[in-house]
Amino acid sequence: MSIVARNALIALGITAVIAGTVMYTVSYLNRARITELSAIENQLSIDTLSLETQFSLLESAPCDSVASSTTLTSELADLGDRLAYTENQLGKNDTRVIQLKRQYSLLEIRDYLITKKLAAACGTKPVTVLYFYSNTGDCNDCDRAGYALSYLHNTYPALRVYSFDYNLDLGALKTFITVNKVQGDLPAFVVNGKHLYGFTSLEDLEKIFPKGALSTTTAPQ
Amino acid sequence: MAWGPDVYIYPFIFVALYFESFLLVTFLSKPARARRIKSTKLSTPNVAIIVPCWNEETTIAGTVESLLALEYPKEKLSLILINDGSTDATPSVIDRFAEHPQITTIHKENGGKFTAMNIGIEHAKDAELIGFLDAVAPDSLREVVAAFDEPGIAAITSSMSIHKPQTLFQRMQYAEYSLSITLRHVFASINGLYVAPGPFSFYRRTIFADIGMFKHAYLAEDMEMAMRIQRAGMSIGNAIRARVYTKGPSTFPKLLTQRIRWTTGFLRNILFDYRDLLGNKKNKVLGILVLPFAIYAVIAGISLFFYGIYQTITHGLHTVSMIQTVPLSYLFSWHPFTWFYLPITIPTLLGAALMLNVFIWMMLGKHLSKTPGKLALNVVIFIALYGIVAPVWLIRSVSDVALGTRTPWR
Repeated sequence: MSIVARNALIALGITAVIAGTVMYTVSYLNRARITELSAIENQLSIDTLSLETQFSLLESAPCDSVASSTTLTSELADLGDRLAYTENQLGKNDTRVIQLKRQYSLLEIRDYLITKKLAAACGTKPVTVLYFYSNTGDCNDCDRAGYALSYLHNTYPALRVYSFDYNLDLGALKTFITVNKVQGDLPAFVVNGKHLYGFTSLEDLEKIFPKGALSTTTAPQ
Repeated sequence: MAWGPDVYIYPFIFVALYFESFLLVTFLSKPARARRIKSTKLSTPNVAIIVPCWNEETTIAGTVESLLALEYPKEKLSLILINDGSTDATPSVIDRFAEHPQITTIHKENGGKFTAMNIGIEHAKDAELIGFLDAVAPDSLREVVAAFDEPGIAAITSSMSIHKPQTLFQRMQYAEYSLSITLRHVFASINGLYVAPGPFSFYRRTIFADIGMFKHAYLAEDMEMAMRIQRAGMSIGNAIRARVYTKGPSTFPKLLTQRIRWTTGFLRNILFDYRDLLGNKKNKVLGILVLPFAIYAVIAGISLFFYGIYQTITHGLHTVSMIQTVPLSYLFSWHPFTWFYLPITIPTLLGAALMLNVFIWMMLGKHLSKTPGKLALNVVIFIALYGIVAPVWLIRSVSDVALGTRTPWR
């Protein structure tokens, strides 16, 4: 075998090793992300269950848990950001992503229900936004709407934003959509029970928030 | 894994990676290693250096003086200065050297560089080796002469670098030329060169009798001659420590003109006159690897440019849309760093590996040729500029070749 042919074969081997190492590294990182997301979901699941159990034990809402509930919502929002990033990396059809999204949606629904119970029993007035989106290419404004809600949540930490993939195959979510009478015209928002469809500007969303119900971290612009 | 538009660039990345791996293995192979050992042979055959001049009034005197200062027996070195119908003061400048015993001066009507080179060859009857200089200053002739000791060598190339780079484009070229030094060294070790660059290349005098003189060759006479040498089954070597300094175009329009001339010259020669070299089994390195890859590089450069434009527009529109949605301060606000959001993807990792490789090749080129100057800043400029400017001359060249547009020299 000539030196050139030998070198060509060795180069092929080196290329395969480099490409393989890179693919393995990226895959390893993605697996680590999934594991972390799964761990966060498990923890949140336990926290949610703990809160629900407190309800059952006391046979009424434990009003000293309002702070815990707020923390839970905030952690849920962080989980949502991570999940969105992972979905972007792995693709919306990745079975692990879909599974994580189902669990996430269930956690959101449970957190929303707890928030409502706490509000009713303890007289708090939380501002909740249910946001329904689609990533199947039929919602041009969903990206912008997601960004706007992230900004609002960042500006008003007390704002409770719950985002749901409208097309996710999950029985509880479908019931949730029906109960809240959400139509398929996306993006859709339900702000404290009021329905909005299509892209809604920051100003319009802020107008709906009850006056004085939200404190800001920074001056809204 | 998400199969987005990135998939489009995977084939390009993998081919580039393979090519770089091949370079690495060949660089470490015996033939290349042997060529890096300094020759101890001290043969001093008669050498003639031909300097074709066209409107070089500001540089020609310095060039001649640097040639006369070359460390080589004076009785064995002659210079032939050819004024190719200059319209400035070049004739009077070169006439100042007319009485020098080592120098022959010739004035002729303007007929193009290749005609000046051919007249020079006819006047270099006593020379065993003939060199052509189209640069500011060479600083080693002995290394070139020693490289001819290898059997079958018809021509020798040297290590070119940019002389005192000043502008951004010259600095970019400095880094590019450093890379080319290594590439030329590696390809020469397996006889894969298809151009003996004009600035400072040498030929055995006998080959002109065997395969003919220089031709117009779409204004790429150095490339055409190299392809003719390869077609004749001879070899083109490289003297990595033989440095030569060239000014390099200082502005983008000048650089564009030069590169369009080079690229159209390559495409026209290989596609019209030397198509038989593609896939040629007599020289598999050239026919199966180097030349197809050179054509592929043109296609890849253009394709990746359009991919870059697509991505820029997509991201640009997305950013504009976001700016209309949320305040700018939020869009560019600092987010806490965690490993989770590390932007590590297959294209970014492989792209980084490729860039690192390129940087190492540049450092090696500079180190092995002992080229003076600082590389780091010039590499940064190269990375920032090359991907934007190179596609411009690639697109224009392909268009010119496809449409049959005539390419100007300057």
